Amino acid sequence: MAEFPKARDFFESSRAAVGDHELRRKLENASARHLDHFAEVKAEFPAYDDERDAAHRIKTDAIAHLDELLIELTSKLEARGCKVFFAQDAADARDYIVELAKRRGAKTVVKGKSMTTEEIELNGALERAGIDAVETDLGEYIVQLRGERPSHIITPAIHLSKEDIGQLFTDKFGIEYTAEPEKLTAEARSRLRAIFLNADFGVTGVNFAIAETGTLVIVENEGNGRLSSTMPETFVAVMGIEKVIARLEDLSHFLEILARTATGQKLTTYTSFITGPRREGELDGPGEMHVVILDNGRSSMIADPVLREALNCIRCGACLNVCPIYRRIGGHAYRSVYPGPIGSIISPNLFGSAAGYLPFASTLCGACKDICPVKIDIPRILLHLRWKESTGEHPIRWPRAIERARRGARRFAKMARHPRTVRALGNFAAMVLKPFAHNGYLRRMPGPFGNWTKYRDFPRPRPHKRSAPAPERPPS
Amino acid sequence: MAEIHKIIASLKDALGVGARSNSQAEAASAPVPVAQSAHRAALASTFARELEAVGGKFLGILTPAEVTNRIVTLAGEIGAKTVALGQGVESDMEEIGEALERADFRIVRTIPVADTERAAMRERVANADMGIAEADFAIASTGTLAVVSTGDRPSSLTLLPPASLVIVQIDRVMANLAAVLAELGAGGVAANRLTLITGPSRTADIEKRIVLGVHGPKSIHVIVVWPRDD
Repeated sequence: MAEFPKARDFFESSRAAVGDHELRRKLENASARHLDHFAEVKAEFPAYDDERDAAHRIKTDAIAHLDELLIELTSKLEARGCKVFFAQDAADARDYIVELAKRRGAKTVVKGKSMTTEEIELNGALERAGIDAVETDLGEYIVQLRGERPSHIITPAIHLSKEDIGQLFTDKFGIEYTAEPEKLTAEARSRLRAIFLNADFGVTGVNFAIAETGTLVIVENEGNGRLSSTMPETFVAVMGIEKVIARLEDLSHFLEILARTATGQKLTTYTSFITGPRREGELDGPGEMHVVILDNGRSSMIADPVLREALNCIRCGACLNVCPIYRRIGGHAYRSVYPGPIGSIISPNLFGSAAGYLPFASTLCGACKDICPVKIDIPRILLHLRWKESTGEHPIRWPRAIERARRGARRFAKMARHPRTVRALGNFAAMVLKPFAHNGYLRRMPGPFGNWTKYRDFPRPRPHKRSAPAPERPPS
Repeated sequence: MAEIHKIIASLKDALGVGARSNSQAEAASAPVPVAQSAHRAALASTFARELEAVGGKFLGILTPAEVTNRIVTLAGEIGAKTVALGQGVESDMEEIGEALERADFRIVRTIPVADTERAAMRERVANADMGIAEADFAIASTGTLAVVSTGDRPSSLTLLPPASLVIVQIDRVMANLAAVLAELGAGGVAANRLTLITGPSRTADIEKRIVLGVHGPKSIHVIVVWPRDD
């Protein structure tokens, strides 16, 4: 795993992104479109909130019994002829898949959309072994052609306009320029179809694994998940340990909400139930099937009762679309495979303390919690991670300016424990600042405090004894 | 398999085994209410509406003889030359195949194949202009088809050709997803490769605009079969 970027890189990339008005327009358009669709489907599905409750309960319960469920799933998969490999970290998973691809003499690996394989950085490892890894989800295909990473969990190319993509296809394939999504899609279809028909090795992620039946469920719209899992002779499914649920009857609760929240559909176009390698005489399905079950920091999240809830996530991406931070900086600025609110609570655990700055990239407005289909209390977990950072459990290296401010805050915290000092200082500030106030508010403050008043006014401090509520906000 | 034990052991540690209850599991298992009493025709019409809402085309509730004629007409309408089909669930697909042959369409019949013939068979299915399949179930509330894949009715039929036609018996149209999963049962799902299909293949990856026919079929036509010719 490459070293995780530093907090300073995040400040730089987010500052650049905030200034990119074109990016802002694309993100706002896409988010608004998504929220419109979601509002429509939610309005005509009165059971939505009940299903959310059910999904939350089922997932919480599954995590609480994860050891048993994984043993059951493994035995069911093995009984059907699958090879199961438990990977403790990203390197384990990567090495297993690359070794297998080498042994099978694979030249091209077709990949269905999968965040978990992004997490383990599989593509780079395959390329280093001289094997072509081809992303086949249209959005993933586009960002791969650009040499980028996805900027959204569901819509990887959300940061690109149709004109950007038209130019990309002209540059890469030498075709006549077009910005029509239909034509661009048709071009990608014919190129990828030829690759699918010849690919000998396929890799996809997994949305749900049903322990009692030993079934892997893959949810998608394009058909690339179906092709990646049925056409190649060797097929590898990669899943985090938290994807397992106990029973078949649990599944419909998730399927009823996942597509509604993720894309505003009632159900995705394709939901594939994969049961193992093909049987005698069958046309479809791989000759051999492997399931890689990845821990990579997840079991350490389970050990923390607050963090554990983050594993309920079903990767719908809705929290990104409502997040005021994501909507201003986009996915790439986070510098993590998993961006947005959910990324901020899982990245520090999957990628180590270096990502500990991410929980601070939030206004704690709670929009993510409100929309989450499995009701993860993301703001609570963000605060928990901030607390861990401040107590030295997830220490991070801040840029110098931030470190200075934090030292100042610590000094203030120490002083604030002495009420008499606070009162004396408050009275002093009230007296000194009084002449500068307009209608009870300060428009500009000196020195480092100027950063605050650059964007908003500050209520004038009042002498302690004659304290009164702050006046109505003056018209500015 | 040392890895599994290591991970399971760390999970047990993390979970602090012993202090967990099953009460939540029971609360969660209450199924979505199923409209058992709903009339078949009402379900079929809900199915038709939802199918069209996701970009599919509903060709009506037809008797088996009408189904055959309608399929031959459709193959002509979409300009197909080659049509791929396999075995049905309840319907006689051979009758449909013969009718198509009489109307001068080339037919690819999917039969169980040896490993050495797979690539060639798949190529032929991929080159067909239309694939015909029979679904095991349909889901009214979402316009979805549940198709089980076997040796003589492979999943490729609803995936590789650019146009897809699916028939389904009217008594196999269910109210919702939970009802279909209950009907298939854990055993049925465990034993089979199953695909739920809701409309044509689609993407919204370019500026969130919906485009049909990415990797799978661009169009999907559905006929609900009324079992008697009376």
